[in-house]
Formats: sequence, structure tokens, C-alpha cells
Amino acid sequence: MRRLRIGLTLRIVAVLVVLGVAAFPLYWMLVTALSSNADLFAERPRLLPDFSQLGVFVEGLGDGKVAGWLLNSLLIAAGTTVLSIGLGIPLGYALSRFSFRGKALLTLVLLFTQMLPEALMVVPLFSLFRRFNLLDSLGGLILANVAFVLPIVALILKGAIDGIPRELEEAARVDGARPLAVLTRVNVPLIAPSIAATAVISFFHAWNEYVFAVTFIFTPEKQPASVGIANFIGELGTPIQTVMAVAFMFTLPAVAFYLFAQKYVVAGMTAGAVKG
Amino acid sequence: MKKHRVRRSIVATSSIIGVAALLLGGCTADGGADGGVAKITFAASTFGDPGRGPLLTQWLEEFNKSQSEVQVTAAAVPYPTFGQTVLTQMGSGQGPDLIRFDMPEFEAASDAGLVAPLDDLVDVGKYTLLKQPDQFLVHDGVRHGIIFEASNYAMFYNADLIPKPPTTYEEFTATAKSLTKGDVFGLAFRQTEAEEAGVWQDIFNYVYGFGGKWSDGKNLTINSPDNLKGLQAYKDLYDAKVIPRGADAATFRRMFAEGKVGMELNNGGYVTATRGQNPNLKFSVAPIPFPVRSQGAILAPIVVNEASEEKEAAATFIRWALEPANQVKLQEILGASSVATVTERSAASLTKTPFLPVFDGLTESSLPQIVLGFEAKTPDIRKVVVQNVIAALQGQVDLKTALDRAQQQATELVK
Repeated sequence: MRRLRIGLTLRIVAVLVVLGVAAFPLYWMLVTALSSNADLFAERPRLLPDFSQLGVFVEGLGDGKVAGWLLNSLLIAAGTTVLSIGLGIPLGYALSRFSFRGKALLTLVLLFTQMLPEALMVVPLFSLFRRFNLLDSLGGLILANVAFVLPIVALILKGAIDGIPRELEEAARVDGARPLAVLTRVNVPLIAPSIAATAVISFFHAWNEYVFAVTFIFTPEKQPASVGIANFIGELGTPIQTVMAVAFMFTLPAVAFYLFAQKYVVAGMTAGAVKG
Repeated sequence: MKKHRVRRSIVATSSIIGVAALLLGGCTADGGADGGVAKITFAASTFGDPGRGPLLTQWLEEFNKSQSEVQVTAAAVPYPTFGQTVLTQMGSGQGPDLIRFDMPEFEAASDAGLVAPLDDLVDVGKYTLLKQPDQFLVHDGVRHGIIFEASNYAMFYNADLIPKPPTTYEEFTATAKSLTKGDVFGLAFRQTEAEEAGVWQDIFNYVYGFGGKWSDGKNLTINSPDNLKGLQAYKDLYDAKVIPRGADAATFRRMFAEGKVGMELNNGGYVTATRGQNPNLKFSVAPIPFPVRSQGAILAPIVVNEASEEKEAAATFIRWALEPANQVKLQEILGASSVATVTERSAASLTKTPFLPVFDGLTESSLPQIVLGFEAKTPDIRKVVVQNVIAALQGQVDLKTALDRAQQQATELVK
């Protein structure tokens, strides 16, 4: 009994430590944003937020720029997520279920794209986008992000589909289901946790993406928040509290999306667990 | 069943957002002439500076009010990746119409043919340009830029902490050491590879201030004894822990504004930026107290993008900027920096900033932070030098070996 209690205590402590490590940067951003100038560089840093400094958030949101950046980020992240999953499911399905010449090579090429740093792709993509008039548009940026994230989405979903017994599809076909219905009605619900996981990957990638966004977008009103925040960093000075306040606001939608998607990951994993 | 409905509604909502994004994104930006008005963009990292940025934007508005056929807007390109972003855009035939470059990027861009020659666009004979900085903007008789800002490096010091500024290197180190206590540091400079361009600007003062130079015009002299002496001084200060190690420029400049840093070597543009961060800080400026009176200068030319479809409109802006009244306004915005032409400091600005003559007196001994004779290769040489110097700072290698290695690697690069 005593050993059980010690084990439980240790587990709780471990969870709290992990939680602390994960949440601390967010907390520290808040504390820094809500620090007075005097506290900012004090020998003993302030450990609790000074809520009398809340005005920095109002200041940050003041001219509507930040709200515009966040909206752009949301559109880019949502567009990237929807498109990469929309294309990733059939691609993953094809790689999993169909046999065709060069399949192994295609899988290898998809894997290879994940080893290329984004910076290497900027110049060729820029030239391509220029030719297709996709520069300075959120749509273009969504496509660039999808191009980068789609391979990993497809490979994850392929792995998930690999794990579904073919007998389930055959049974559906016997019941008269067409190929598309087999994919959407049989496979998709079964791989929901993987879809949720890839949605998180796609959303986070697009939400945080900087290199493509800073190069492909010229109009300030079209910049996402990742670039907008960097605009605060000046050559000779940076308003640290404002940067931290905006960065804090920038993290919240991503955290909210993760919490939302996480529910589906867990729901998918436990679905059917109680059926006999 | 209920779950299915929820999922469908989520998918539908996400799809609508995605389609909306694509549609919204499909609309590309307005560019070029619109109803007879040429719309041009001007990219300058200075727009992000506290104090100077908003004033520069107002200055652009004054131009817009004075024109009926040309309108200029500030292109927001973040400072940390300014050169890389703009050069990528220009290299692909896009980018802002007007750009304020720092010298290394200016040299690289003009060498690559990305900058439009200005000889046919701006008649510089009409203006009294400052000769010393201007000479670096003409390559083989072709003018590629006009000085937007020329700013000499000097020693900024907190006048409350340091009543009498040091005049020798020994006094300088002694002052830095005596001030470093608790949360106050005697000095601050850049010392991380993440701030490569900034480290280059900072070490330039140590190298030239100790009689060194990066080249003799024909060969690189990175590992010369004088360079080693200057960089050893830089490293000694780092080792003495009189600087906030690890703090980036944004942080330690804010610390200076808050009275937590005693001294900093910086350029004239820093005056307005510091006042923008703390109008109550009592600070002053003196020449850098190193053995040789030679220091870096930020030369920031304004150039026209070769790929611009509105070169004439861009030139209209440059001509407007060169008008005497607009030069005076620009100079007051930029603080203690100089502008393209010879202007007189107003009595009001001399009263407000009595140390302005210190900066003006350094013009003849200030040099742009490029490697003479290897101008276009400066960004590459900078990378090699900074990487090796930082390796020495971090104790991975001794400084002499680091400089020998930098010399060898840079020589390979410029072959």
C-alpha cells in the first residue's frame, strides 16, 4: 500500500515537472510582458506578473495591426490544415492500398523532402510563384506550406491506413460501397486520431512558419503574426514588453487548437474500446 | 450519431475558412500605376526603430502630400532577416522599389546587378554631397546609391554612472570593471553568432581602433598582428565578464536605456532610439578611447531596385529627399547621423544634443564596415570572421589560431 502511494506521488511529481517545463515559457512571456521597465532588468527577476501593467496588451492591440496579423495567421493555418489533410488522405490511401510502379521510390522521395531545410526551397519556390502570380497572396503562402507539410501528412496517414484490416474494406464493398465511400466511410473514421495528429502538425507548421511568409508577402496588411512580431525588432531598439505581450497572444490560438484537436485524438483512440 | 454531426460541422467550418483563405489570398497586392498614380514601396529596417520609425513614416507622408503622381509606402521587412529577404526578392526580379541597405548588402546587390544605376535618374551635380561617405557608392564610374544615412561610431556613456568619460583603453577597461556590479554592467557589445552582422560592426571598431584592417586593398589581412591586438582587447573584455553575456542587442540596448549598462560603442542613430526608449536617461557621447582614432561608420545608401517597374517614380522620391529642407528634416529624425548632403545643425538640436559635434568630428576617420578591395564579398568574409572569433570567445580555440583559420578560409572564398 505504502509502495503504491509512493509510486503515485512520484508520478504526480513527474507530471507536474513536465507540465512546468512545457508551460514555463508561456508563463515567463506573460511575466515579462507585465513587467515595468524597472523590473525588466532587476537583479532579482520578478516571478509574478504585475497586473498593473496590463495596458501593454491594449497598446499591442491598439491600432488593429496585431488582430490583422493573427487573422492572417489563422487563415493561413486553417487553409494549410484543410488542404494538406484533404490531399494527404487520398495520397496516403494510394500509397497504402495500391500497387504501382515506382511506389517505393515515391515514398522515399516524400521522405526525402522532409530532409530539406525550408531556406533551401525559398528561391526556387519564389521564382515559381512569381511565374504563377502567387506572390503576396495568402493563397500562395498556403500552397507553399502545403507543399512542405503534405509529404509528412501523407506518410503518417499511410501508416495509419496500413493498420486497418483489408477485410473491413472488402466487407464494405460486398455491401455495395463505392471506392470513395470505402475511403470516407470506413477508413477515415478509423484513422481519425491520425488525422487529428496531422492536423495539429499542419496547423502548427503554418502558424509558426516565418521564412516563406517574410519572403513571399510584401504587403504589411497581409503579413501573418510570425512576421508581424519580428517587425517589432528594430536595428537599434526593441519594445520588449510589447513583443512579449503580442507573442503571448500569438501562442493562445495555437494552444486552443491543440486542445481542441487533442480531444479528437483521444476520442478516436478510445472509440470502439468498449464494443464487444 | 451526434459525434458524426459535430465532426461534419467542424469539417464544413474548416473548409469554409480554408476556401475563404484561398479566395482572399488570390487577390494579389496592388502595385505600380493606379489611375495615373505610381505606387512605390520603400524598405528600410529603420522603420522598425522605436523613436525613428514613426518619424520616418511621417516623413514619407510629407512626400505623399507633396506629390500628385507618386505615392510611397513603407514596406515592412523585419530587421533580423532584412538583407536576406530583400536580396532574395530582388534576385527573383521582385521586391521593393526603393531600399535602404547597409553597406555589405549594398555591395553584394550592386555587384550582382540588382541595383539600378542612378546616373540617368538623379542629377547629383545639383547637390552638395558629403564626399567621404559618398565615394563608396560609385563603382567604376557608375553611381548605385545615394547616402540615406551616414553614422559614425562613438562611445555612448551613462552620464550619471560615468561623470568623466575614459580617454584611454586602460581607463575604458577600468571603468567597465568598476561599474560591473549586481545588475549593472560596465559595457555591452554583441557576442553571439545569431547577430553576425552586429558582431561584425562591433569588432570593426576594435580592429581599426588598434591600428588593424581587414585588407590592404589587394590581400586579406585578417590575421595581422594589429588585428589580433584589437580582437584580443574585445576578447579580454568578454572574459572579464563586464558585459551581459548572452544578451542580444535589443536586450542590452534596453538595459542601457534603463541605466543598467554603463558604456556602449554605437552609431549616431542610437541617440533618437535611446531617447525613444527612455526620454529621461542622462547620457553623453565621446570618441572611442582606443589607441588609434579610426572607427566604423554605418553607411546606409538608398537604392532603386533594378527590377522596379517604377524607377522614375522611385527617383522622384530620391530627388525630393535630397532637397535641402527635407534633408534637414531627415537628419533631425535620424538623430546624430549625417545625411547625403552638407547640412547645418540647428541651434535647437545643438541645445538638445550638445554632443552632436563629436559625431561630426569623426567623419574623416570613419570607414564603412566593408572589406576594402573585396566589397562584394564582405558578407561572406564577415561570416567566416565572425564564426571564428565567436569560437575563440567560447574557448573552442585560441584567438590567434581562430584568426589564422579565418584568414585561410576567407582567402579560399575570394580566390
